Amino acid sequence: MIQLTALSVNHRTAPIEVREQVWLSDEEIRQALRELKQEGFSECAILSTCNRTEIYAAADLPSPQGRPLLDFLLHFKAVDGARPEHFASFFTCGAAKHLLRVASGIDSMVTGDIQILSQVKNAYDLATAEKTAGFYFSRLFQTALRTGKRARSESGIGEGAVSVSYAAVELASKIFADLGKKTALLIGAGETGELTATHLRGRGVGTLVVANRTRARAEELVAKLGGSVIDYDAVPAALHTADIVVTSVAAPGRVLAASDLHKAVKRRGANPLFIIDLGVPRNVDPAAKRIGNVFLYDIDALNTMVDKNLAKRLAEVPKVERLILDELVAFYTWESSLQVSPTIQALRESFEEIRRQEVGENINRFAKEDRELVDMLTKRIINKILHQPLVNLKNGTKEDPAEETMHRVHTLRHLFGLGSHSHE
Amino acid sequence: MASAEFLKILVPILYAAVVADYAVAFFTRIRYAEESKRELLLITLVAHLVYLFLRYAAYGHVPITNLFEVMTILAFAIALAYLMIERMTRVTETGFFVLSVALVFQTISSVFIKCCAEVNPVLRSPLLGFHVTSALLGYSAISISAVYGFLYLMLYHDIRSTRFSAIYRRLPSLEVLESMSFRATILGFAFLSLAILVGFIWLPRAFESFSYADPKLLVTVSIWLLYGIGFSARTIGRWQGRRVVILALCGFAIVFLSMTVVNVFFSGFHNFY
Repeated sequence: MIQLTALSVNHRTAPIEVREQVWLSDEEIRQALRELKQEGFSECAILSTCNRTEIYAAADLPSPQGRPLLDFLLHFKAVDGARPEHFASFFTCGAAKHLLRVASGIDSMVTGDIQILSQVKNAYDLATAEKTAGFYFSRLFQTALRTGKRARSESGIGEGAVSVSYAAVELASKIFADLGKKTALLIGAGETGELTATHLRGRGVGTLVVANRTRARAEELVAKLGGSVIDYDAVPAALHTADIVVTSVAAPGRVLAASDLHKAVKRRGANPLFIIDLGVPRNVDPAAKRIGNVFLYDIDALNTMVDKNLAKRLAEVPKVERLILDELVAFYTWESSLQVSPTIQALRESFEEIRRQEVGENINRFAKEDRELVDMLTKRIINKILHQPLVNLKNGTKEDPAEETMHRVHTLRHLFGLGSHSHE
Repeated sequence: MASAEFLKILVPILYAAVVADYAVAFFTRIRYAEESKRELLLITLVAHLVYLFLRYAAYGHVPITNLFEVMTILAFAIALAYLMIERMTRVTETGFFVLSVALVFQTISSVFIKCCAEVNPVLRSPLLGFHVTSALLGYSAISISAVYGFLYLMLYHDIRSTRFSAIYRRLPSLEVLESMSFRATILGFAFLSLAILVGFIWLPRAFESFSYADPKLLVTVSIWLLYGIGFSARTIGRWQGRRVVILALCGFAIVFLSMTVVNVFFSGFHNFY
């Protein structure tokens, strides 16, 4: 029987001072996995991100040989000021459930975080590379990764942008089909503007044009992100060439008047013009909202979007919890099917079924007085055939590690088609 | 004949089920609906095809001889065209809207269709098949273009008013919808041109009462002109987005009128029932 244990330090249990001290690089994770294996854990995996560090380990019962995971971690990484309550421990089903919750993004700081799934995948890959993810962990992590994917496709947990710059990019992708053919004009090369421009570039916006009062700063940004620079005064004249306009100028007074935009839209042949106004006070005359084919959003509108999206994600959590339960049940059904005695029972029943059927079909060929003998004889053959394999199976259970037994039972069930190892 | 009658009832029910399936997949995230919708659509189309063949076998003519026969073919053409668009663009979210149109046409057809109307011998000409088929393909493409135009306007409104409903979340971008609508319009225009061309060759020969003042003929030609103007506006005047979409919707409204009002209230040589 395998005993699963998990230790978690995360944004809920510990302050950043503790979390950053226990953070492990990929190289450190490999090292730690090797040491855990030496400690006597048959399988283990470690997940470490800026918000959480978690160790998952499995040992054979009845005698877990390793020290508790907490001691191990504190020994591996010298941690200052950590208290026991900064660490959460989970056991058996609870540990598996925790992993599934993490993978599905409902345990993340920002509910429905997309990155965590690839981080879980990375943890699994590292464990596979160090050969600490065997038969049991493969199944466990594949369940976790599938749960994460299902959560994203079957619930709205990852839907909607939850940061202002992402909200802007998301809106752009609802208006334009191919951002690669679009031009973005960034007016004001401040920090917020840069972040949004970076996101737009990340989503594949084709051309980037930057205009800034201090031209040098614009050139600096273009050097980093690619694109071209135009004079700040040339903006109104160049407006019609842009599909996406981002303004973040920290200055009183409007940067773009409604009449500028009206002219630009006209010259664009009514092609949509998407404007994100990140300035406070606002850079673009709000009256421009009424111009057809102009999509104008200010910082408040984007913030409202983000808040709404977060609320929607939270409302999806119960749906994800149901999914997790679903997958947990499937996982434990699989696990319990790999125990020895029910498998022996199932194997016997399957052989007996074949015997009964064959005897039933052919019994009339025998003389009446021989029929009882045929029945007995066939039973005896079955028992003799099954005797040696079953003895070996039972004895193996006592001597071999639990994982090996599970593997053997799995193969046996597969060979004889004994079922109840669904999700193959 | 009995099986044709049975399918007459079954086919609209299947369409209703398909539309419901697509709606569930669009508005909720039930995986079963998402996975089953394509298969269900395929089954419906096969059943519909069988229905059309059975009618042909039972009544001895291609079912294009009266309005309600035409409507069932129109429903079939819309659903088939949609299936092809879905396969090509991999956009599976618009099915609910497009197939609803097919459902409406099929339901009207199933309710009113007569079992064995007299068929005008003129309608057995092979040119008629060509004329009617291309007109129907044209009309179904125009219907589909209108659905995409309608979705465009809904999404446009949603984005502008920052109201983010299922429409906003599940539909492709405005540009994609516009181009889908536009492509469907081009296709519709091409088929309509063909239908008109064949009509002008065949009609005067087939009907003694042929008249260029026939209401249906006038309406069809004006639709054709309207679309022609639309295309010129788009290419020469560089019209884009909403204006073109609204034009496409107007075109569809007039097509719909031509199909219903003109057929019902005006009489001319062009009516066959």
